[in-house]
Amino acid sequence: MSKTDPVRQVLANLIEETQSSFTPDSILREFRATNERRLPSHELLQVLVTISRKRPEFKEVTAEITEILKTKDPMYALLVFAERYSDDESLKALPRSLQAMASVSSLPSQTSLSSNSPLKAKSSTSSISASASTTSIATTSTTASSAAGADSARTQADSARSQADSARSHADSARSQADSARSKADSARSHVLEPRKVVFGKPRHSQPHQGQKPQAKEERDRERGDLSVIKERVLNAVSNSSLNSFRSLGGDLHGGKSATSLRSGGVPYIPPPVGMPDEYRTNNLWDYCNVEGGKMPQPEIGALPLASQQRVVLTELLYCLTGVRGNFISPITSDSEGEGLVRFETSFTIHSQLDRSLVELVQDILPLASHFMGIQKIITETDNQGQVINSLNEALQHLTHDFYLLLIQAEQELQLQQLTVQKLLYYLQPTLWVMEEIWTSLVDVQLTELRGAAVLSHLHARIKRLEGDRAAQHLIIGLTRKAAEPYMQMLQLWIQKGVIVDRGQEFLVEDNEVIHRDELPEHYSDDYWEKRYTVRRDRIPTFLEKYSDKILRTGKYLNVIRQCGKRVMPTQQMELEFDPSSERHVTVINDAYYFAARMLLDVLLTENDLMGHLQSVKRYLLLNQGDFTMQFMDACEDELAKNVDLVLPMTLENLLGLTLRLSSARNDPYKDDLHCELLTYDLVTQMSKIMNQKEEYWQSQDRLDLSGLECFAFTYEVKWPVSLVLNHIAISKYQMLFRQLFYCKHVERQLCKIWKENSIAKKFSPHAAELYRSAFTLRQRMMNAIQNLEYYMMIEIIEPNWHIFIEKMKKVENVDNVLRLHQDFLDSCLKNCMLTESSHLNRAIFKLCKICLKFCEFIQRSQRFFLDAELKSMVCDSSDDSTDSSESEPESSHRPQLESTLDPTDTFSERVKRFDLEFTGLLISFLKQINNMAKKNTADRS
Amino acid sequence: MPSEIITLQLGQCGNQIGFEFWKRLCLEHGISPSGVLEDFATDGMDRKDVFFYQADDDHYIPRAVLLDLEPRVINTIMGSAYSKLYNPENVYLSKHGGGAGNNWASGYSQGDKLQEEVFDIIDREADGSDSLEGFILCHSIAGGTGSGMGSFIMERLADRYPKKLIQTFSVFPNQDEISDVVVQPYNSMLTLRRLTSAADSVVVLDNTALNRIACDRLHIQNPSFSQINNLVSTIMSVSTTTLRYPSYMNNNLIGLMAPLIPTPQLHFLMTGYTPLTSDSDVNSQQTVNVRKTTVLDVMRRLLQPKNMMVSTGPDKTNHHCYISILNIIQGEVDPTQVHKSLQRIRDRKMAQFIPWGPTSIQVALSRSSPYVQSNHRVSGLMLANHTSICSLFERALNQYDKLRKRGAFLDQFRREDIFKDDLTELDESRETVDCLVQEYEAATRPEYLQFSVKRASGDSKTDEAKALAGGGV
Repeated sequence: MSKTDPVRQVLANLIEETQSSFTPDSILREFRATNERRLPSHELLQVLVTISRKRPEFKEVTAEITEILKTKDPMYALLVFAERYSDDESLKALPRSLQAMASVSSLPSQTSLSSNSPLKAKSSTSSISASASTTSIATTSTTASSAAGADSARTQADSARSQADSARSHADSARSQADSARSKADSARSHVLEPRKVVFGKPRHSQPHQGQKPQAKEERDRERGDLSVIKERVLNAVSNSSLNSFRSLGGDLHGGKSATSLRSGGVPYIPPPVGMPDEYRTNNLWDYCNVEGGKMPQPEIGALPLASQQRVVLTELLYCLTGVRGNFISPITSDSEGEGLVRFETSFTIHSQLDRSLVELVQDILPLASHFMGIQKIITETDNQGQVINSLNEALQHLTHDFYLLLIQAEQELQLQQLTVQKLLYYLQPTLWVMEEIWTSLVDVQLTELRGAAVLSHLHARIKRLEGDRAAQHLIIGLTRKAAEPYMQMLQLWIQKGVIVDRGQEFLVEDNEVIHRDELPEHYSDDYWEKRYTVRRDRIPTFLEKYSDKILRTGKYLNVIRQCGKRVMPTQQMELEFDPSSERHVTVINDAYYFAARMLLDVLLTENDLMGHLQSVKRYLLLNQGDFTMQFMDACEDELAKNVDLVLPMTLENLLGLTLRLSSARNDPYKDDLHCELLTYDLVTQMSKIMNQKEEYWQSQDRLDLSGLECFAFTYEVKWPVSLVLNHIAISKYQMLFRQLFYCKHVERQLCKIWKENSIAKKFSPHAAELYRSAFTLRQRMMNAIQNLEYYMMIEIIEPNWHIFIEKMKKVENVDNVLRLHQDFLDSCLKNCMLTESSHLNRAIFKLCKICLKFCEFIQRSQRFFLDAELKSMVCDSSDDSTDSSESEPESSHRPQLESTLDPTDTFSERVKRFDLEFTGLLISFLKQINNMAKKNTADRS
Repeated sequence: MPSEIITLQLGQCGNQIGFEFWKRLCLEHGISPSGVLEDFATDGMDRKDVFFYQADDDHYIPRAVLLDLEPRVINTIMGSAYSKLYNPENVYLSKHGGGAGNNWASGYSQGDKLQEEVFDIIDREADGSDSLEGFILCHSIAGGTGSGMGSFIMERLADRYPKKLIQTFSVFPNQDEISDVVVQPYNSMLTLRRLTSAADSVVVLDNTALNRIACDRLHIQNPSFSQINNLVSTIMSVSTTTLRYPSYMNNNLIGLMAPLIPTPQLHFLMTGYTPLTSDSDVNSQQTVNVRKTTVLDVMRRLLQPKNMMVSTGPDKTNHHCYISILNIIQGEVDPTQVHKSLQRIRDRKMAQFIPWGPTSIQVALSRSSPYVQSNHRVSGLMLANHTSICSLFERALNQYDKLRKRGAFLDQFRREDIFKDDLTELDESRETVDCLVQEYEAATRPEYLQFSVKRASGDSKTDEAKALAGGGV
């Protein structure tokens, strides 16, 4: 047998013809060299031209090779070249089969997923395999698998698989054939330095491509007879079923079973200790199924020579690796009900008569079978349990496929009598740890029933743990990336469009929309923002944990924008892919987030003029527009003085409209958003109810003796989306502030009023004025207290806080910040205006105001009388009696019991004194309370 | 329905300061001398309608009534660029144009005679406003028209509009120079009585202090009327700034004045303004950077007597004190700074307050006009009720007493109706002013609440009668 392969042969012939200085090996080396090292293509071409110039067809061939060199790998060109000049017919089919091979082997190397898969790992040094795969990209459309979508990838995988199957069957059938090409391949295989490429490349030389299948198959079918046809079908079924394709194998399987037994040929059959129940195989896995019927006599294995033993063992081993039960290596059937790890582990017994040396080696390989089967079991068990799992399984199936390819090649070598157990172990070595790694990862997934994001978290954790083991880490990264694909797609859809397409309930954001916004009940929009979308903590993959908040908000913003009737225009479609090394997904998420945040902020601030609305609210509800407040009070004074039940809301509304149009507020574009509201409780009640967290907060209670003033509040209506910020709660807070301020303003006004009325006293003689001085000074003290209170609340609290708020708003980046800032502003105002303290400071304020009002009332009532009296006395110098009697009248109406006992004149000053005492007492206790508060929390402003 | 305010300008002085005041308001609100709103001022958030009313879309007319008995000043005004600003119907010039001859009695009598015509104008203005808040009267107390006619109109106003405020900007004569008006003490005394009884608040503009400030602070050797009036117009405009640029508080005249005036009699207010710059300063140093004045600086300076627009003379006994203070601060002010400044002032006891009641420095933060460039970051006006103002009245009393003792220059008074029978009017006025002085003095003491006026001259009334609010003299 010639020791050279056909290409070398051809080259050698050509060299001989031309007497050139090349050797076949040197040429091959040149063509095989990696991209960087090899000669430029025109020099390669020159070499070929040199050796082939004697041939008649040399011109055409050179032209063809030139073309091929331009686009394809030199090795391919060389093979084509060799084929053109070959006298050996078997080489004629080479390029086609090469293509087929390339398309197959391109799968592992092109899918990034398996970039570290065993096949690739082995072929990494081999230019032939690499070049074949690159060639295949260029030439065959079937290799679209890497770029195309998952579906097309799958169909590609299927077709590739079937090619492989057929190839395998051919190899199978060719077992008895000894053709020259194969013997050449044998010699090549013994070439230790370049092991895999040969194994990959050379045996395939003999494989006809599927395209040629019709004739080739016919021939072989005739040669092999029915047996091989069945065998082929069975093997098809085996590989396909384990790959989880949904092809029904029912009929085939039965044939397959018998076929398997037949296939064993002369090998006697050992019945397994316990038969597997057929139901167990619902997943269409062979899973060492005990195939009945094939009771073949088992030869005495121990009696065979070592070489034969090895062959038998190798065959068994290869089947064992695909999950088919053998005779000498048989699985120890674990309890099928077993829990935990056991379910995914298989141990094997090896026939005792086997040679020890073989057994040792076989035992090294067997864990691979166990792991592989474990993985297959997990794949089938987790089938259709969510998108993430499905995607992971798909990735695993690619791996499985690669594994099968490896086995096919091993088997081919076995057919060629070139395989030894050592060799097999050598080939499988990288696959061993890969499978083990995957198996370990997956077992955890399955045992803890991880689904969806948890799977991703788990894989991510494994990636972290594999730091340092670059290859393994790379492998798991590939798997994770693949598994994360659907999740990332969901994420992308969410952060770029705000849409959730999540049938498997796996995505970290959950849409709780029950009702459409238009049908929202009144208070709904408060929680709308909070509750519509929520993050499901359990559904966040760990690598997104940090960004979950951002992710939630991004989509939320987009939805708000959409609800504002604006089109959400994503800047550019960014591919979102999980990549722990580059963390690119982080930038994508951040970009999307900033885009959405900015956009919504623009919608709110620019298009809906949020700040304008807030200004407006501040103007009216925080009394910033003092003249408007004054005018409104002027206009509504009478109406609001009535009992709340008698106040006509329509009148108020009309007066408000009038005031808005007549005051300086008329320039405000949002003045029409302002409305009147009559609440059913006064501020103190409202406060105490909030403090006590009573249930009946919203329920009305009997309107005791409340005046319209005490129940009055402005309200501000805003439309979506401003109502996001100015929601019901915020307006309520504004209202609380408003009521306190409004009440103080009212008191101040009353005091001013009596001040004006009192100023009549300057007409009195200085002596008369003396009488009223105590009343005047008390009034002044009240005015002082109230004005200082107002000043404190308005100028020292609201205004600075507002400034801070505005300053912060200038730098605000997203809507949640806006909400938070606004809330901070309100809370700070409420707190410092003594409206949140549980110490009832606001009650004290209320009491102070009340006493002031009472005093005003008293003075006003007395006014009539003492005014008359004074004027009378001025005019006619009237007697003391008349003065007395007139002055006593208000007292008698007010406190009849005092009338008889006290001198009327005293009564007035007494009354004033009593007011004075009461007021002073209240004020002092109020100040004390404040002091205590300040002591309690010294952190706050004094 | 803004709280409108009608400005009455009486006499030579009143019309002059009023003229400056309106010039200033026009500038601040972006209204051209012809009353047309400037283009840049159309979207202001100010309240022009307190002092102006709108004739048509962009034409603003001051709510001002110009009254004089002689045509000189008003003619000057009507000959100026601002002639078109005023409503000509609101300008009243006495027909004979003879003036009041610096005689209070003459002015008062003429006021009486002309009251129908004058009140036609005032009533029309009052009717024209939705919710009139009050009147601002500009006049001097020394001359004839401003004091005499002003007094009469004040009294009539108080009767006619008892619910409206009457605030006056009253110019007190310069004590440092010999006045050419010999009856000035009589005029002052008679006017003071009306100011006490009819006005709700009187912003005292002491010519003595104004001249001194012009000399000392602005370094003008012989200050002209217009320079002095410029000072006055500043004070007038700033004191009304919270009305015109409303914010949280002090948005109406009553809210501004009520806290300052605890008892009806004590309604004479001093003013102070800082930092001061004269027109020449502004013109000559246009490149001067905006000065970095702090709120504390402003508030501290406002408390210094030399910045006061009232010259009270040295307070020998050092017992005078503030009854109330309102600081109107304009400019870029941080409210926390105000708080700190107030605390500092309180800690250092820079201001002495009355012992009989709680009081403190009130602060009103006010926006200022965006159309007027100020070369100060912060500026402040103080409206203060200080007991030392009574020294002004004491001075007037002294001068009056000197003249009265000699019975000098009473002839021209006797010629008028009011003094036809006797001169009790003069004595009563003196009595009133004396009481006022006593009251201010008493206000410095803790027993103010129990204080009762002692008669300077013996009277038939018993103390008991007084205590029971027996009548006047």
